[in-house]
Amino acid sequence: MTEFFASLTAGVLVFVAGYGGLQGPLGRQAACVLAYLAALLVFLCVVGGAKAMRAYAQGREPEEKHGIARYFSFDVDHKVVGVQYTVAAVVIFLVGGTLALIMRLELARHGLQFLMPDQYVTVMSLHGITMVVVALIATAGGLGNFIVPLQIGARDMAFPRLNALSFWLLPPAVILLLSSPFLGGLDFGWTAIAPLSTQGTTIGKQLFLLAFVTAGFSSIFGGVNFVATVLTMRAPGMGWRRVPIFTWSIVAAAIIQIMGTSVVAASLIMVTFDRVLHTTFFNSDLGGNVLLYQHLFWYYSHPAVYIMILPAFGAILEILPVYARKPLFAYKLVAGALLTITALSFIVWAHHMFTSGMWMLLKLPFMVNTELISIPTGVVFLAVMGTLWKAKLRLDSPMLWALAMVANFLIGGLTGIPLADAPTDLHLHDTWFIVAHFHFTIMGGAVFGFFAGFHHWFPKMTGRRLNEALAKTQCALMFVGFNAVFIPLFWLGNHGMRRHVADFPAWMDPVQTFASLAALVVGSSAIVFSYNVFISLRGGEAAGENPWEALTLEWKTPSPPPHGNFKTPPVVAGEPYDYGASA
Amino acid sequence: MKNKSAVAAIAALSALIAWGLHFVFTRFPTMPLAASEQAAHVDSAWNGLLIVEGAIYALVMGYLIYCVYAFRAKKREEQGQKFDRSRGRFVEVAWLAVSVALTLSLAALGSHELRALISDPTADIDIEVRASQFSWEFYYPQTKTFGDKLYMEKGKRHRIILTSKDVIHAFWVPEFRLKQDAVPGKAIPLILTPTKVGEYTLLCNQLCGRDHYDMRAIVSVLEHEEFEKNMKAEF
Ligand code: HEM
Ligand SMILES: [Cu+2]
Ligand SMILES: [Cu+2]
Repeated sequence: MTEFFASLTAGVLVFVAGYGGLQGPLGRQAACVLAYLAALLVFLCVVGGAKAMRAYAQGREPEEKHGIARYFSFDVDHKVVGVQYTVAAVVIFLVGGTLALIMRLELARHGLQFLMPDQYVTVMSLHGITMVVVALIATAGGLGNFIVPLQIGARDMAFPRLNALSFWLLPPAVILLLSSPFLGGLDFGWTAIAPLSTQGTTIGKQLFLLAFVTAGFSSIFGGVNFVATVLTMRAPGMGWRRVPIFTWSIVAAAIIQIMGTSVVAASLIMVTFDRVLHTTFFNSDLGGNVLLYQHLFWYYSHPAVYIMILPAFGAILEILPVYARKPLFAYKLVAGALLTITALSFIVWAHHMFTSGMWMLLKLPFMVNTELISIPTGVVFLAVMGTLWKAKLRLDSPMLWALAMVANFLIGGLTGIPLADAPTDLHLHDTWFIVAHFHFTIMGGAVFGFFAGFHHWFPKMTGRRLNEALAKTQCALMFVGFNAVFIPLFWLGNHGMRRHVADFPAWMDPVQTFASLAALVVGSSAIVFSYNVFISLRGGEAAGENPWEALTLEWKTPSPPPHGNFKTPPVVAGEPYDYGASA
Repeated sequence: MKNKSAVAAIAALSALIAWGLHFVFTRFPTMPLAASEQAAHVDSAWNGLLIVEGAIYALVMGYLIYCVYAFRAKKREEQGQKFDRSRGRFVEVAWLAVSVALTLSLAALGSHELRALISDPTADIDIEVRASQFSWEFYYPQTKTFGDKLYMEKGKRHRIILTSKDVIHAFWVPEFRLKQDAVPGKAIPLILTPTKVGEYTLLCNQLCGRDHYDMRAIVSVLEHEEFEKNMKAEF
């Protein structure tokens, strides 16, 4: 743990010294970028990267810490990295949630209450980007890192050091994001649309861009690792038709991480160039192209929503058969559907740009392509519905979360179609209809899916069981509260409520006040959750190897699994979802 | 037969949900006042989607609620029923066929209304709408006048020519529906035909900085004579 705090201190010192020293000769923006790069390098070395590389060069096993300290160190065990990601996601989720409550407080009435309009935008941008990080890392990074190697019977990930690096790039990114409001704020939302993002000279904006790029590298490294691991390290007997659906979903998401993230990083680096080196990529007066930014940004950021939702699909599809006590319906078709979504996700980006002024006729192909995604998404619903038919449902907490996710995502998916449909999107774009829609998909889908997986695998990760009554209470509170917040907001969006603004006409007051009160219910669910995790870690019932009587490999080893995962390397002899009685 | 009563129960649940949706959507109209010809096209696309999606929602939720109620295990040892492979294959193919058909017809409906919205670029009145942080400017090139509001004439086709002096803004009058960004370095046309006399609010709908929230202007739709008088009175 000393290394962790030492690395933080060193990083901050290097940044302050570098920025102070370079600011005179180079100007603020360039000084900020260079100082950050140096600080990042120092941070990664001190936190343990240097030691790990030295051990690797000398052919030694990396030294292992014990107890809590492990989780604050550059540890290469995938289980440690999985827990690090999960805890980080939960902590960032609580921060982002607090920011959401601050916004809802401001939005409780028309007029400005306690936030200046630009402060509202800063809080909104921070809430947006922190929650995007949560949705990107919680299931794919947290549960994925812990569960996927176990599920395919591997000892670890293919590149354990890269795995640790991919996690340790996140803390600097998050620290940067959270400090940006104090260094000049960000008034450009979490999407940093140029040329608004190339304006202004505060370093808060520059730090935001750097944080985004840093998180991007983390995501690329994670993606490469998952694909390599699943390609090469499956247990004997695990042909592609026996790969559990959660692992399939992580592979699908990882492909997007590899193929998309570099493009968004490029667009942000181009903005940085415009700011620092005064290039003119996005300056139309000097021959730049303003729309180019949006094309590059959405080329990644649309597929990115599938990095969030595919693992959540995987988690609930993994969970349903276990608690329905019967095989996953249409397993092969749905695995194919996940990969189809991955492929299609790269040819739909300009549905975010129907109003942007791009060439008019492009609206048509992007509309049709986007609507095609509803076909593989429908297959996911088919698998869910088929699995429930003539099941014997055990309504344990993970199952409740999974069912709640399905109910939410049904609304999220259906409300996406009017946004894909160009004529209606011309009205709905950038209103609260879209805000409600993406909360139904990201929060209702990805976050509920994460909680489903979290409750399912918590016993495996910690060796202890969560308190069921509290878990069900949390699920009920969050489901009811969440729906109550966002359903009325669809309607408000249609009637003229713009996105990104702190003020609105007085007639909207009743609906807005209601949504703000309902947000408190969601907030209370987070308190129940934190309390449950706290008491369960201290005194929860011992979980045993397989508390849910599941068949996949992660349940065939002690909880938590020992170093190296399995005492004897597992061999796969059957299908992953062979539950139930024959008819 | 057990399956038959299941189907009946699901149908009843779905009908109940559909009726609830219908009740809510008629009690709280889903779209604001429609005050332009273009709004009619947007609303027709919207209403089509609302009906199809309402039906899908009711069916899926009816099915899910029925399953959770009817198939819950009474004892933990109980096991679900494995399916018959060939019937499963039939369901998969049928589902795919239906979803392909549905998707393509929704896309066709959307393309149809899209065509109606963008196919005719002609207009009676040109208005240059210039956006800048954080205000709107309206210029009428045919009469060489500036407007302090966005004056429009009822029933005429207006070509709004959008430009921006600094960053991206967006033109949105909810009652007219259509929305268009104003992009630096581009002049983007938007055709609007107001159909109802009255005052509306023009909102900037693209985050453009500090006072974006307050970047509004008044839109005033007038009858022919009033409009003419106004154009003269400006200068
Ligand atoms: C009860 C919980 C939540 C509430 C009350 C809430 C509320 C809000 C509010 C008020 C905004 C600002 C919208 C605007 O002014 O345009 C917002 C934006 C956003 N929220 Fe949430 N939120 C919640 C949970 C989440 C979760 C769990 C996620 C994702 C994991 C999320 C992702 C986002 C994103 C990405 C934005 C960006 C908006 C933009 O660019 O317009 N939110 N949320
Ligand atoms: Cu998209
Ligand atoms: Cu604006």
